[in-house]
Amino acid sequence: MSIQTAFEEATETYQVPRLIRLAPNLYGACFTLMKMIPARFILRRAEAQGLLPPHTVIVETTSGTFGLALAMQGVHMNRRVVLVSDPVIDERLYRRLTDLGAVVDRVPAAAGAVPGGYQAARLRRLAEVRTEHESTFCPEQYSNPDNPRSYATVAELFLECLGQIDCVVGPVGSGGSMCGTVGNLRTVLPECRAIGVDTHGSVLFGHADGHRELRGLGMSLMPANLDHRVFDQVHWCSASAAYAATRQLHRRHALFMGPSGGAAYLAARWSAAANPNALTVVMLPDEGYRYQDTVYDDNWLRGAGHLDQPLASEPVRVSDPTRPSGSWTCFDWGRRSYAEVMAGVAGVAGAAGAAGAREAR
Amino acid sequence: MVAVQVLSPAADRCYHRAGQAGSEIGVGYAPAHHGELLQGIFADAAGQPRRALVTLPQPGRGTRATFYPSYSHSGVLGPPEQTLVRRAAMLALRYFSTFPGAAKGGRVEISSNVPTGIGMGSSTSDVTATIRAVADFHGVTLPADEVARLAVLAECASDSIMIDDRVVLFGHRDGTVLETLGHRLPPMFVISCDTEPGARVDTLRLRPADYDDAELAGFGVLRAALRRAVALGDAALLGRVATASARINERYLPKPHLDRLLRACLRHGGCGVQVAHSGTVAGLLFDALAPDAEQRLRRCAAELEFDASRIGIAITGLIGVSASLAGHPAADPHEVEVLVR
Ligand SMILES: Cc1ncc(COP(=O)(O)O)c(C=O)c1O
Repeated sequence: MSIQTAFEEATETYQVPRLIRLAPNLYGACFTLMKMIPARFILRRAEAQGLLPPHTVIVETTSGTFGLALAMQGVHMNRRVVLVSDPVIDERLYRRLTDLGAVVDRVPAAAGAVPGGYQAARLRRLAEVRTEHESTFCPEQYSNPDNPRSYATVAELFLECLGQIDCVVGPVGSGGSMCGTVGNLRTVLPECRAIGVDTHGSVLFGHADGHRELRGLGMSLMPANLDHRVFDQVHWCSASAAYAATRQLHRRHALFMGPSGGAAYLAARWSAAANPNALTVVMLPDEGYRYQDTVYDDNWLRGAGHLDQPLASEPVRVSDPTRPSGSWTCFDWGRRSYAEVMAGVAGVAGAAGAAGAREAR
Repeated sequence: MVAVQVLSPAADRCYHRAGQAGSEIGVGYAPAHHGELLQGIFADAAGQPRRALVTLPQPGRGTRATFYPSYSHSGVLGPPEQTLVRRAAMLALRYFSTFPGAAKGGRVEISSNVPTGIGMGSSTSDVTATIRAVADFHGVTLPADEVARLAVLAECASDSIMIDDRVVLFGHRDGTVLETLGHRLPPMFVISCDTEPGARVDTLRLRPADYDDAELAGFGVLRAALRRAVALGDAALLGRVATASARINERYLPKPHLDRLLRACLRHGGCGVQVAHSGTVAGLLFDALAPDAEQRLRRCAAELEFDASRIGIAITGLIGVSASLAGHPAADPHEVEVLVR
């Protein structure tokens, strides 16, 4: 027998995604703020291990939802939080972070012009910030193994609610959510497929570093938490395609989610339709509020040229993952390491992108 | 070391059988098991890590204990090699010492068809039957959790065969139930194999597994999957869980030919394999509700039988779990006549 109980603190309510049926064989895992899972896990574990004494300052480089999650958990734990961010940070997010007591430290705009872009500049600034405080703790979401580890509870939920899942689709940034969720699922279901969704100009799966409009997925630097051998297939999705899919998710299913989830939904819907016997789950990492003035505004979309082309009904299959071509492409990664895949395309003419990505690593 | 923990029974925790107290002898039965479906370290209700397991019961094998009381001698006589049986009887006698007509000591006779040292729970079966026999003599049927507590005191670690009315995640080192997973297991047929005939595993000497971080995380995932498998009667998912648990155990007490057994099982449409984490038995699991289940089971068994002597394993039998198998009626608990010791 069990009874319903109340929550101890606000961030606890973010731990469990809602699983919602989108098609006969497709479920969405809807998170309010997925990054709360690693943020809360890492900070609570650090505290339990004595790594976070009372006057320790929590420092991290982030412009996005991980910072928000840290700032929220920082309130519960009564710790100061310093976040090193891009010069351009969403004004509403900035206000929310500062209201939570976090200090947002922006790197100068000029930093964007040099190799590694803002991400490298942020890492340098983070190192400086750490010398300015007597005691700091950095969660290091890109390399801390507790990031993927924290998603064991998500795998548990998937198994208890849905049983034998055949495929998980999700956006990839640090790699923590997909590698952690699928890695844990595979304890029980070794053949469960993983489809990672990236965006053009991200080094994660072989593109050269470049300008990226789509936020929440893709990276300029290779994160240690990304275990490429988890992925069976990789999709690259343009901002326009992701935005269109995000809106479809809203119109068809009344699910008000962010565009990284939209990109994942695009790939998942296609994959689930192509494999009607495969029970598929798609990760939808955040909600739509932050994007109301952009993704959810037709005038903005039109002005930015996102409505110029209709959404493709299927991805273009590419044989060279280093070449950005088309608004939606996919490549059979085959659970190989990055080096193995790149060795396979090294002979292909124009593998300049691969060279760029290796440098980035 | 155990004396302080033996509490006298609270009257409302026992079921007295009117008119039977004071009979000449006491009898008790306990079934065997066939190793585990899952074993590892799991969070208890307070979030603390505890070693625990889910037992696969084995109807058809068991132990019958008979207790002959003595009112003059406080010792317990029993089979000389069975220290645990005598210890269990002592503990049970101490438990009932405040009862009217309580015995001081006595003699225990064990009759069992459970092989020893291969992971079928012969020891817990003997101990549980003994505790029940002493209770029976005192006119009492003990609740399962009390039997479990006494069994763990006698044995240090015990499996959960005394809890026979539900499927539990059982803390085998403290005798507590971490979670009730459901009322019963999905109907299954099991091909029982001994992977190292003649080898004996001394459970008491076995070092507790020191699981690594990945294994520890995996246990929570396996528990969640098993919770669903039991609640929905999903034998296929249960087979996945058992197989994963058997694979983890390969680092601690490997079973020869586990992969071969798994392949044979899957080839014939089975669900997976389970093993004794402190023994040599392995079971090939089949969904009893699947079409042609019994035929597949028999075909798989015949194929294994053909290979068995060459690769050095033995097929020990076919078992029906929550399901009966033609030609293998569930044994009557009180008709254990095959004496193996
Ligand atoms: C909104 C959103 N979606 C997806 C991701 C990618 O998740 P992960 O870092 O676990 O790969 C992120 C990561 O920052 C995110 O903020």
